[in-house]
Amino acid sequence: MPQLRPPPVPDESDFTSRLRSPAVAARVGVWLGICFAIAFITGLISHEAYVHHPFIAFPTRPVWLYRVTQGLHVTTGTAAIPLLLVKLWTVFPKLFSRPPKKVGLLLVESLERGSIAVLVASSIFQLASGLLNSSQWYPWGFDFRATHYAMAWVAIGALIVHIAVKLPVIRDVLGADIDAGLHDRESMAAAAPISRRGLVRSAFLASGVAVLATAGSTVPLLRRVSVFEIRTGAGPAGIPINTSAKHAGVIPAALSDSYRLTIAYGGRELSFSRQDLEQLRQRTHDLPIACVEGWSASGTWTGVRLRDLLDLVGAPAGHDVRVVSMQTRGAFGTTVLPNQFVDDPLTLLALGLHGEKLALDHGYPCRLIAPDRPGVFQTKWVRKLEVIA
Amino acid sequence: MTAIRAVLIAAGAAAGAFGISLLLGLGQRNLIATVEWLAGGVVLHDGIVGPAVIAAAFVVGRVFRGRVPAAVIVGGIVLATVTVVAIPVLGRFGQRPDNTTLLDGSYGVGWLVFAGLTLLLVLALVVRGRRTSGRADEGGGHGTGPGRR
Repeated sequence: MPQLRPPPVPDESDFTSRLRSPAVAARVGVWLGICFAIAFITGLISHEAYVHHPFIAFPTRPVWLYRVTQGLHVTTGTAAIPLLLVKLWTVFPKLFSRPPKKVGLLLVESLERGSIAVLVASSIFQLASGLLNSSQWYPWGFDFRATHYAMAWVAIGALIVHIAVKLPVIRDVLGADIDAGLHDRESMAAAAPISRRGLVRSAFLASGVAVLATAGSTVPLLRRVSVFEIRTGAGPAGIPINTSAKHAGVIPAALSDSYRLTIAYGGRELSFSRQDLEQLRQRTHDLPIACVEGWSASGTWTGVRLRDLLDLVGAPAGHDVRVVSMQTRGAFGTTVLPNQFVDDPLTLLALGLHGEKLALDHGYPCRLIAPDRPGVFQTKWVRKLEVIA
Repeated sequence: MTAIRAVLIAAGAAAGAFGISLLLGLGQRNLIATVEWLAGGVVLHDGIVGPAVIAAAFVVGRVFRGRVPAAVIVGGIVLATVTVVAIPVLGRFGQRPDNTTLLDGSYGVGWLVFAGLTLLLVLALVVRGRRTSGRADEGGGHGTGPGRR
């Protein structure tokens, strides 16, 4: 009669593939770490561009800075997904390692495993929430921007702890041949259909393919191979939109004959119809529109220089401006434009794009377009500019 | 090296603590929703993705009777991980009726082209590998003993 046994719980030693080795994990991990570092730094830059009172005043030059940093942020996050999946595969047996019996060792190991749990959970969280946000899919109950920012600190902190804990192993396995077998488990002996080098290269290949397949939303040259780009680049006047006029609830007000733009400074107020604005001196600048979701596009905008308008109410330089939109929905109906953007000669109140009258979805009758600003701050359907004293 | 490790651990712990303090400052509802997603990600990976990959590897091993060509593994890794990246666009979950400039690609066709090209490449490499190993030696093929590339 067969002996009754409890259902088998796998042990670390049951995983016999040669591929699940620290030599593989460290090599994939180096590039994963580089992706995380770039995503973290570019994320901090984006955070600085968003907050009302940043640590450092956000620069207006180069005009493409935010386009590049945010494109990099989303691209490195995308590149990290295949790398993380392969990395987690190589270390999967660790999940089943038996805890040590000595109390002291148990404590150290508990701390280490705790930090790994935080690292894995926060890494999956960051990459998944970032990926979903880039496609404007928000199936969660948390505030994305604030939570993604908070968890970025948790993930990068856990990563630094992980590198510190593993430093001797990392040095050993990176300093030796990938097949040298340093720090391999004894059970790691089974032949695999692919070499360790082959697995590392497959991870890099998958990462590269993921980037090529998605980056067309921000790198127009990649459009043809970017089969999974969030936006093909189509839109009114050849530029996509994020918030439509319908969604913003502006259609009757934006098309109304009684539309007036109000400019206020101190006690002075001036109001302009769209025709009045067209009578003022028009300027044309090439400026990118770059959104936090990673997509961007370059546009040729025509309109009135913001500084010229403010001069009409006698507002001196060096003041921030509150920009009020007609939009009734969304968190960015009223924004504050910092003074360096207010006084920049490239900042326009745009009336046209690519030689056409500004489309309703692009912000007709007029919209703000400033150099090096996140897209959500390029306020559309502007109804009031108020110089903050 | 001990000093470097100690500094790194202190710096990492400080960064993590800062992040957690930010998270706590976002309120209890936000915290609960975040913890659900943190735990959900780990459960999804360790409970479903990890075992599913093991099961898939077992099936592939059976299909090829223990002699799986390397190209099949490479193709599988690329196809599976890139498909994970493409889930949000393939499902068009963020699509909105009022914005036709968002999620406006032919993603299903794109995926079929991507998967088809990957399969074709794998097939070509497998056929080429069979021919070469047939000419070379019977037992060689895809062994990966220490020292082999």
